[in-house]
Amino acid sequence: MSYYFTIFSPTDTPLFTHEFGTSRSSGDGIAHFSPADRHLAPFILHSALDILEEVQWGPSSTAGSAPMYLKHIDKYANNYVSCWITGANVRFLLLTRPRDEVLGSGGGLGGQRGSLAGGRLGVGGGSGVYRPDAPATEEAVKNFFVDVYESWVKTVMNPFFHAGNGHVVKSPVFRARVAAAAKKYL
Amino acid sequence: MTPIQDATPKPLKYPADLDTSIVLPGQRASPASSLASLPFRTSNPSLYKLFESTVSTSTSRPSSGTATPTSSGRPGSVLSPGSRQNGTGTPGSLPPGVSDEHRTLIQQAHAPHVVVVADKDTEELIRGKGLDGGLLQLLRPFGEALSGKVTIRDSVGASKSYEDFGVRFVGMDQVLGRPPTSESAPLRPRPVGGDVAQVEELVERHLQYSEFSAPGSVPDNQNQDDPAAQESGNSPFYTLYLRRLLSGLPMVPHETFAHPVVGVIATSSRSATPVEELRDLYNRQHQGDLQVPQWVDGLFLRYYVFIHEEETGDIAKSNTTFDAMKRHFGLNCHLLRLKGQQCISSDDDAVPLPKCEWLSASEELAEIQRQESADEFTDPTPYIPDSDVTAIKTFVRELVAQSMVPHMERNIHQWNEQILARRRGLSGRFMSLSKRWTTFGSSRSSSTYTITSSNSNYDSTGGFYRPDAPEALMRRLADYCFMLRDTKLALSTYEILCTDYNNDKAWQHYAGAMEMAALSALLSPTALTTKMRTEKIDEWIRSATYSYTDRQRSATPFYALRTLALSLELLRLRGTPATDDAARWGSRILEMNLVGPIGAALITERISACFSIRPGLGVLKLGSRRRKAAFWAVLAAEEWRCQNKALQAEKCLEAALQLYGARTESLQGGPVRLPFDEMQHFVDELRQQILGLRLANRGLGEDDEVEEMQQSLLVEEATETLDASPRAHRRSLVGAVAPNIDTGPLSPTLERMPETDDLFEGAV
Repeated sequence: MSYYFTIFSPTDTPLFTHEFGTSRSSGDGIAHFSPADRHLAPFILHSALDILEEVQWGPSSTAGSAPMYLKHIDKYANNYVSCWITGANVRFLLLTRPRDEVLGSGGGLGGQRGSLAGGRLGVGGGSGVYRPDAPATEEAVKNFFVDVYESWVKTVMNPFFHAGNGHVVKSPVFRARVAAAAKKYL
Repeated sequence: MTPIQDATPKPLKYPADLDTSIVLPGQRASPASSLASLPFRTSNPSLYKLFESTVSTSTSRPSSGTATPTSSGRPGSVLSPGSRQNGTGTPGSLPPGVSDEHRTLIQQAHAPHVVVVADKDTEELIRGKGLDGGLLQLLRPFGEALSGKVTIRDSVGASKSYEDFGVRFVGMDQVLGRPPTSESAPLRPRPVGGDVAQVEELVERHLQYSEFSAPGSVPDNQNQDDPAAQESGNSPFYTLYLRRLLSGLPMVPHETFAHPVVGVIATSSRSATPVEELRDLYNRQHQGDLQVPQWVDGLFLRYYVFIHEEETGDIAKSNTTFDAMKRHFGLNCHLLRLKGQQCISSDDDAVPLPKCEWLSASEELAEIQRQESADEFTDPTPYIPDSDVTAIKTFVRELVAQSMVPHMERNIHQWNEQILARRRGLSGRFMSLSKRWTTFGSSRSSSTYTITSSNSNYDSTGGFYRPDAPEALMRRLADYCFMLRDTKLALSTYEILCTDYNNDKAWQHYAGAMEMAALSALLSPTALTTKMRTEKIDEWIRSATYSYTDRQRSATPFYALRTLALSLELLRLRGTPATDDAARWGSRILEMNLVGPIGAALITERISACFSIRPGLGVLKLGSRRRKAAFWAVLAAEEWRCQNKALQAEKCLEAALQLYGARTESLQGGPVRLPFDEMQHFVDELRQQILGLRLANRGLGEDDEVEEMQQSLLVEEATETLDASPRAHRRSLVGAVAPNIDTGPLSPTLERMPETDDLFEGAV
């Protein structure tokens, strides 16, 4: 599985972007996006902001306080987007691209388009083996987000850093922390 | 007259022709001059007419060509949604910039079919007028658009008039599902649609035409001239795709739209014994070689026509014959007076035979091929005298308004009382139960036709119901209602049918009923509740698609595509909350690989259009789908680029940038950049590729032109970087005519976008 993680400022500017692969089940921790997927990932995350806003401002699904972890919110083809939202309206978006084998019959992006054979393939995409709303997956992503959030809080406590002004996170320590969290949970 | 044609017409190769047409490199400074020298546009003006449906909207600048695209004839423009609308607009008031066009298209597509047969002498007579297709070809265009309103009474007795009602005249071959008899017209393409690959090929031809030979194809001008069309996201090619998808519905057991409602039987004054001829034809239809398949009801209404030839016939004799016909066959008779001579365009009262709008894809393809290889001055459109037109119009109107519609109304009424009412009542429910569990309630019709061992009326080996089985009658009742636009009764009938078909495991029928239930619910003029939409209609669409493809032995992807595409259109018209669903079904089409490459690009573009019409709430535009729309527009641009369709790709990219707000100015004065550097990079690269493609399509991409193209690309980059204001004409052609820049601020769309964006985006 490959992941693409981005932190968006309240004005939709990406502040931090990190790309990594799974470290579970003998994964090497390196993202294996196909070139097409790789190009589309920023577009997908950016377009997911539309859905995010709707979930954010829409009727709450939980009683009481609004949750920070919004779980799986959007999908495009075989790319799944999960979200965490901080109190200052900074959005963490994680794009998950499962390996084709995990999806059962892989009809990747524009994979076998052009064959008019009809829909025996690819219909079950997502409901195959990888499920974004499975409790284990949700929990793992949540743990990852919690760790990143902790580092993020430390970053924004820096008086010279203003996320709202579109300051990009350059700290290598922050990146290392995110990578560590990724390795630990995803 | 024209010289002799080549015996073997060879298909045109566009790039090659473009290349040869260019004489001097120096002349290429102006694109208009090189375009004017295109071979087939100047030499074959009639070809233009073939592509009119898509060209008239895709290019809006008339140039000094032989054919002048008229801006008034723009069918798809939002500003003129057409006089064909009537009171049944979609409730909840259409979102601004959305036209009802596809809704009327869907309604018009489901028109009653009228089968036409004529005896030999009559066919000979019509062919003598220069119409190879015989009587069918003569009648067909007039059935599609009836003159005047047609008043229809629905099941509760309320009358409603429709202006855009029509019928489809079909030949006996199409009804019988056999290839046309070769002696009448050799190599005549089959008028049956339902073939996605052919639709794709046809749209590809149209695209190619617009790509290579459309006049004045600088898309900036197009955007600025026609912001309305741009905003609604209606691509003429998509409309064409839909129309051809719905043209020539195939004859199948599981739906009765293509089944004949009326049969026209014609004879003429040339025949010695007209009454006997009519009888003979009827008998052949009833028992002989013209008998319909066993799953079609052969007892449709017959309409007898006596064609009187003005030149040779004796009107007194014709009148007596006609009186005899009336005595024999009842009131469903008509005396049609036609001229027998061939008419040419220079005649006084000659009018060209109108074009058929609902040609099947294969027919239109054949037509294009024929005309491309045809000679310069041959205009293949047949001409007929004005008096014939009047006579035929009267005839068709009388046929529809006085015979067909009352006949259908009567049938609806009768079946509604005899079958549906019984099914709806308590006893009806009990009957259907007992039919399932005991052998007691098995109906008579299946006992006369004992293939099935079970006691249902469904013949599972053949996959059909007998036409007199209650299920088949109810399906016809529902289809009749749908064709007469009584969606309420249609919907309730389809719902009942769903359960019946489900019990019989007649999956194809089941899917058909589901599809039509969804469509009639979406077409109905009443407002839909959210619950209805999310629970019922979604479920119908989902299981219809599933049943059409995966549930049975032979998948029928065409029907699945039809279900999804039509639902997409109708849901899109339902306004804000439903547009998400529309887009979801659109992406389902792509996921299921139901369309080819052209269709995929068109659908991608359409999904973007679905998202883009969703307005946000309040100043923050909460709940709008601007970014989604932009994303899909970029995808569509990429798709089009892969298909070498520069114009379309450019249009999509332009739309995407508008949506991203990159056409506005940021606070610092420079153009707004996309949020991610990768995105900006991707878009820039895409634009370069599209530009190169466009130049290549214009004939600049050949080997000896490489340096010129590179040079032009260099200049292009220069304008790119030097342009501080995004409103400038970025993609101007090298050395082309001076771009008219200042139309930008005048356009309302350009003015509106920045304000709303800046509020939200802040300092991006």
